[in-house]
Amino acid sequence: MANTRRTTKKGAATQTNEAMFAGSMPVASDLTPFQILAPDGKPVREDLIPDLDLVEDMYRGMSRLRHLDDKFMSLFKSQRLGNYAQFGGQEASQFGSAMALNRQTDYIAPMYRNTAAMITHGWSIQNAIMYWRGHPEGWRLPDTANILPVIISIPGQVLHAAGAALGLKAQGTGGVVMTYVGEGGTSQGDVHAAINFASARKDPCVFIIENNGWAISVPRQVQSGVDYLVRRSVGYDIPGYLVDGNDILAVNTVSKKAVQDARDGKGPSLIEHMTYRIRPHTTGDDPKAYRDENAEPEFWRKERDPIARVKKFLTLEKRWNDDREVAMVAEIETEFQAALEAADQVASPRPEALLEYVWQNDVWQIKEQREILKRRVAQMEGA
Amino acid sequence: MMTQVLEKATETKTMTLLQALTDAMDVMLAKDPKVVMYGEDVGRLGGVYRVTTGLQGKHGEHRVFDCPLTEAGIIGTAVGAAAVGMRPVVELQFGGFMMQGFDQIFSHVSRFRYRSRGRWSTPLVIRFPFGGGKSLLEQHADSPETYLMHTPGIKVAIPSNPYDAKGMLIAAIEDNDPVVFFESIYLYREPSARMDVPTGYYTVPLGQARVAREGSDVTLVTIGTMVHTCLAAAEQAAKAGIQCEVIDLRTVVPLDMETVVASVAKTGRVVVVHEANLTLGPGAEIAALIQEKCFYELEAPVLRVASFDTMPSPFNSLNHYSRPEAHHVAEAIKNVLSA
Ligand SMILES: Cc1ncc(C[n+]2csc(CCOP(=O)(O)OP(=O)(O)O)c2C)c(N)n1
Ligand SMILES: [Mg+2]
Repeated sequence: MANTRRTTKKGAATQTNEAMFAGSMPVASDLTPFQILAPDGKPVREDLIPDLDLVEDMYRGMSRLRHLDDKFMSLFKSQRLGNYAQFGGQEASQFGSAMALNRQTDYIAPMYRNTAAMITHGWSIQNAIMYWRGHPEGWRLPDTANILPVIISIPGQVLHAAGAALGLKAQGTGGVVMTYVGEGGTSQGDVHAAINFASARKDPCVFIIENNGWAISVPRQVQSGVDYLVRRSVGYDIPGYLVDGNDILAVNTVSKKAVQDARDGKGPSLIEHMTYRIRPHTTGDDPKAYRDENAEPEFWRKERDPIARVKKFLTLEKRWNDDREVAMVAEIETEFQAALEAADQVASPRPEALLEYVWQNDVWQIKEQREILKRRVAQMEGA
Repeated sequence: MMTQVLEKATETKTMTLLQALTDAMDVMLAKDPKVVMYGEDVGRLGGVYRVTTGLQGKHGEHRVFDCPLTEAGIIGTAVGAAAVGMRPVVELQFGGFMMQGFDQIFSHVSRFRYRSRGRWSTPLVIRFPFGGGKSLLEQHADSPETYLMHTPGIKVAIPSNPYDAKGMLIAAIEDNDPVVFFESIYLYREPSARMDVPTGYYTVPLGQARVAREGSDVTLVTIGTMVHTCLAAAEQAAKAGIQCEVIDLRTVVPLDMETVVASVAKTGRVVVVHEANLTLGPGAEIAALIQEKCFYELEAPVLRVASFDTMPSPFNSLNHYSRPEAHHVAEAIKNVLSA
């Protein structure tokens, strides 16, 4: 890719060159991700530091989520989950954005990696454990949470989000829809269909690309020749934001702006969070097969951790100390254990669940197959 | 009726189904410079199931490579590449994700030859892991062969053992029609399905069924992973003095009805067994054809054992009630004999 000239919406020419990518992240571009807090915890934008209570909430929220991610991984290791897609490293990206939503009016259209955003928007930990166990009752998210079904086939959720935005607008609810897609997922044509649809109609939708550097073993640069995917916003004539996805203050500031714009009838926005998948793709993945875990991932774990960044800031501000940390971790662990116990107490899936909810009212084939199922269950119990 | 064409195959090696597939691709990458392989994670990683392991290292990044995450893109570009003379062998990460590219299959892969009155064709192979029996997420355990059987212009291969897998994949790559190639997740590494496979080039023709077990009382018509389920049921039935003939179709398109009809002439009783759900699964077509072609040989209605008309449950928690098991087939054998 030799010195292609690109024209941004404002008409300014920008340059890229072949040295742009090394591994999974761009190393040179005229665009720089928006940042409020530097990795060392020092503000780069003093003017945008919010109330310290809010920053503390962010720290507590992200710490809780990381703890859950750790716990879910160990549940898998002890064979108490079927699989699990870790969000570790992406807490700022998911918590910072989802907390910009109003739980009563707004919706999330999630993908498999969005456990953190979903918990932020009202998914219960117990339900999340059951979902990742494949328990049919885990498939039913709490009725109080405005969360559409978790989508595994990439990137179905992005179109559902555009459609939900259409629907909320039509009903005049004032609601906004937020959806997420991985940088790999942006290669699917349906992402274009969704953003274009919402932009043409100015529907209230916020599209977030969680660019975590990897699509399983495939690094970012294989997906597209562009330096930053958010440049596509220009083609839809909608606001596009490039954000340091490991800076929760930056994430939250931008999400709030995009959500407010959507609510105000100004239409959708496209946001790219520059973040990193510090953990395996899922609990079934071995990243050593495709990346040097001691190099780039270790750098992100050690030097770019989104939670450590806020902790450093709070410590500098004298808002945080070890005693508080210990008390917080104990609280989180108690909460998790209670959820796990509740999940463990739910009876194993009923075989009948196989044939429920296919149609609202069973067609005769389902009725007939239910009889076969009954016989099989009786045989298994007799055996 | 073992119809295996052996050419130049000399030595053999014990292989799993997965190793046999890797070997087939290795052979064809070496044999034909027009063969290219791409998909999601197939390069450096060798695919999530590692079926393309080592191929990029051995044959180069221009022959085996990772591409953007888009099934429509993978299949649609394979159409264009095939049209101008390449032999693309593309991988989809799971059969459940074929649908993201199904427009390209339904509208273009299947129609280039017809649309251009033979000027253009699409000699490509689309391979993917499919089917149940392992603990997997939603949309990772589907058996979508029905959609392809209903689309004229495509061949559909579903091998049940390492020998067939290698020979059929080589035949698929050399075939001038597009072939969709189903790879059983359950059998990929199944130790009991390992067998001796010739190390060099050989083909197993697409469209010839195999009699996997001979018998005279009941015909079990099946394919893929279910061949093993049926063999287990046949073994059980034999203990009760019932001799089942097990037919491994190998491909559902073309469908080798000659072998099926010859067997029905002997037995007069048929059970069709497949993993896809019942309604309009391969069994619907096979049963219809049997009653057309050998109605007067039949002693009983043709029965079907298939998955329920529902979705596979995640992580396999309940699928053993729905996806055919040997004891489900045994029950059908009893029923077809008492009809
Ligand atoms: C349509 C479709 N194709 C392929 C897959 C298999 N798959 C699961 S995750 C993944 C990589 C996704 O990467 P990205 O979009 O960057 O999201 P991330 O997992 O990094 O959050 C792939 C190829 C899928 N789930 N859906
Ligand atoms: Mg990614």
